[in-house]
Amino acid sequence: MKSFSWAVCVAVGLGATAAQAQKINAAGATFPAPIYQKWFGEYHTLHSGVEINYQGVGSGAGVNQLTGGTVDFAASDFPLTDEQISKLKVKALHFPTVMGAVVLTYNIPNVSTELKLSSDVVADIYLGKITKWSDARITKDNPGVKFPNDDIVVIRRTDGSGTTFVFTDFLSKVSPEWKMKVGNSASVSWPGQTLGGNGNAGVTGLVKQTPDSIGYVELGYARQNKLPYATIKNASGNWVKPTLDSVTAAAAGAANTMPADFRVSITNEKGKDAYPISTFTYMLIPAQLADAAKLKATKGFLQWMLTDGQKDCASLDYAPLPKEVVAKEMKQLALIK
Amino acid sequence: MRLRWRKFVNAAMLSASGVCAVIAVSALFVILAFLVYNGSKSLDWNFFTQLPKATGEAGGGMANAIVGSLEIVGMASLMGIPIGFIAGVYLSEFDDKHFASLVRYTADLLNGVPSIIVGVLAWTLVVLPMRHFSAFSGAVALAVMLIPIVTRQTEQFLREVPMALREGSLALGASKWKMIATVAVPAGSKGILTGMILGVARIAGESAPLLFTAFNNQFWGGINEPSASLPVMIYYRAISPYDDWHRQAWAAGLALIALVLLANIAARMVLARGISVPRG
Repeated sequence: MKSFSWAVCVAVGLGATAAQAQKINAAGATFPAPIYQKWFGEYHTLHSGVEINYQGVGSGAGVNQLTGGTVDFAASDFPLTDEQISKLKVKALHFPTVMGAVVLTYNIPNVSTELKLSSDVVADIYLGKITKWSDARITKDNPGVKFPNDDIVVIRRTDGSGTTFVFTDFLSKVSPEWKMKVGNSASVSWPGQTLGGNGNAGVTGLVKQTPDSIGYVELGYARQNKLPYATIKNASGNWVKPTLDSVTAAAAGAANTMPADFRVSITNEKGKDAYPISTFTYMLIPAQLADAAKLKATKGFLQWMLTDGQKDCASLDYAPLPKEVVAKEMKQLALIK
Repeated sequence: MRLRWRKFVNAAMLSASGVCAVIAVSALFVILAFLVYNGSKSLDWNFFTQLPKATGEAGGGMANAIVGSLEIVGMASLMGIPIGFIAGVYLSEFDDKHFASLVRYTADLLNGVPSIIVGVLAWTLVVLPMRHFSAFSGAVALAVMLIPIVTRQTEQFLREVPMALREGSLALGASKWKMIATVAVPAGSKGILTGMILGVARIAGESAPLLFTAFNNQFWGGINEPSASLPVMIYYRAISPYDDWHRQAWAAGLALIALVLLANIAARMVLARGISVPRG
């Protein structure tokens, strides 16, 4: 007992020394978590008075915590629906932060070449209709690759996930059967036999450890773990590799026609170089912040993120926002009061 | 012939039970050896002094999680141990059949509730009304888990104190509370304390009740703020795909076990010095 009260005393003392900082708590998508934590760390070294604590718990959980009012802001890869917005006590504004690609990453023993997967093949793998790597529809697009005659281990997210939302949004656009049977949501009931992982990190880890597996994760997670990822056939019929440029190309159309509330999907965009599973990811910031210090800190950070912060994107495999979108967001900043 | 057969059966059974005992004990040692082997490679000064790095970045430490765990488990102990202890004394010394058996039954049920459910309870009762995650809410969740453990252990060890001691004390004119405070509890104190330590050790390793109560923090957090803790750090580090994070998860596991062992040893030393245990 004594030793514990001791520890508490020490801890309270430590807590008190850091108490002057303006603390902001946020939670949500794991898709942009690497760059968010980098940003918040960097911003803290620039402005030691601001500590933004971000935890990647999944977009779904982030939105739930925002609805429950337990976090100061949330982050999500999918824009909120009207129904979700109506449940919020304080209206939230969508701030696109970066763009990224959802990639199909795989672990096939003895296959190190970059696979080509057409969008209907991806849909049928996740529908459970293509079950073997040696399926004729896979080998047809990948001449010269020697596939094992093994079952495909299909890996998906278990938590409510913006990455899942973007992926199923894409599948619904390319496969009528997917749209009818499964649909588009942050968590869906998966038709075939699948294995679940928690968060982008969890799915990446599972693919890394499971031979013959395929999973969908944010580009950076695949690249930083040196996992291969597939080239996908886009809506214009071109094979496109997920890169920062091909994500930017997918957003080119949306940049000019962006709706005022930024709620837009850029999956399966037409365009020679457009990567078809691309997305904006958002911070959901309450439009009213009662605490003046928090308001100032939040606005200060957003301003920095939209300008200097964007320079960090490339090193972590995210695509920076188009200029037009940044300009619109700067205007939206004034709406936070 | 029959004697030889009997001797053979005796020897066979004895060695079988010996093997089982070795298996039971070696599980602990295998875990410890694995942790020490993998964890010690990763423990360095930074681990104890630095804050965690961003997702996927190598380096950094878990200073905030170590302090956070001490803070949360400490608060949980301050809340849970007194309640559990007094409830245990009630069950053992003031057993009035109906209510006591209800308490006993409830405590056993509570003991079996999955820890994630306790986390949901604390989220609903503490986090939602306070409108933010906090180390305190995590401590409440852990305290709820600690109370039934301490209650039942205290009761059990008090029951092992011989009736004759109590009767002797009462016969000499001590009031009931004096008998409990100066005779029954000191006599059972070693066992009671062991029960408390076991309970604290059990909750110190829980991650599920903390996920959405104490939450997590990459900075220092106070009692009223989200706080990092070792079990939650281990959970997130272990499911991640980064080698450096796996390394840190091992180190955190070793640190957690070391903290529990230290608390254990410290408590026993305090006890050995502080109270003389009368023999029954």
